[in-house]
Amino acid sequence: MGLRADILNQPISELPLRPVIKVQSGQSIRQAMQKMLEAMLGCAVVVDAQGRYIGKFTERRLMAALLQGSHTLDGPVDALMFGTQDCVLPTDHIALMIQMMESRKLRFIVVVDAEGRPVALTGQKGVMEYLAEHFPRQVKVQKIESKLHLDQREGA
Amino acid sequence: MTLRPRRQGSSTDDFRDPLNNFDAPVYQDELEKAIAEDTVRSMTLTPMRTVSPDTSVQDVLKLMVEKDIACILVTDGPKLMGIFSERDVLTKLAGHFEQVRHQPIRQFMTAEPVCGYETDSPATVINMMAVGGFRHVPILDMDEHVVGILGPRRVTRYLQDMIFRHSGD
Repeated sequence: MGLRADILNQPISELPLRPVIKVQSGQSIRQAMQKMLEAMLGCAVVVDAQGRYIGKFTERRLMAALLQGSHTLDGPVDALMFGTQDCVLPTDHIALMIQMMESRKLRFIVVVDAEGRPVALTGQKGVMEYLAEHFPRQVKVQKIESKLHLDQREGA
Repeated sequence: MTLRPRRQGSSTDDFRDPLNNFDAPVYQDELEKAIAEDTVRSMTLTPMRTVSPDTSVQDVLKLMVEKDIACILVTDGPKLMGIFSERDVLTKLAGHFEQVRHQPIRQFMTAEPVCGYETDSPATVINMMAVGGFRHVPILDMDEHVVGILGPRRVTRYLQDMIFRHSGD
């Protein structure tokens, strides 16, 4: 099978998946931000008391919160989270996810189980890593100022 | 006419084609071939948003929120100075935004980011993203001037176009 057939036929469980950072509904934006920082992940998943997915809070929403003033950070994360139109099952096809990401301009996709509980996070990064695995010959080695260790991240 | 003397032991039978051991890549479909062999210019690289290094943090964030963009290039004329992304907001600003909102973005941007060239293949740039863990790679021309930026949204748009353009065959 080729890449196109793989994307059309393989399930999302074949993508690199990341653990979910969960935030309870009602917790503050500041708490969500802290968890995102600790995990170095750009998205926290908001769940209800039963652990079901009800929304997500992303870096994009964090920017909006910061511009509104620091008091906003102490408000509930629910006030700025995105809705739940962006979840998939592990058995859904990768092509479906790519269509969702493109049509709704989504960066993160929450993978849920049959009961609607979040089990993993994927999205743009997962797709990039999946694609890269198909092209191992195209890795470009760049010399970065002969330094063994970088002082800061070298990309965005 | 003077004939050049043949080297001892050489003959046309000794000729070894240096490309004899070259295995041309085999692609299983058009999508694979396009991503491996096209240039990154076949993907959408613009528009790109740029700001000067002296732009305030607050103004950069406002621009990113208003224009719904995840990453901004910091340029001095055509020269790329750095890159600033949503991830930088989380890691460099979030804890003390009020103290730094009026400071210039040059203090928080990632200077000298890894870049691709317009002659690189999409696969090369996608590998840069995956291996380096970046979401956006500025694309330069041979004069090291910025000509665009490649991010995952543009890659997924390209994938969707390529996959569903061929879905009727």
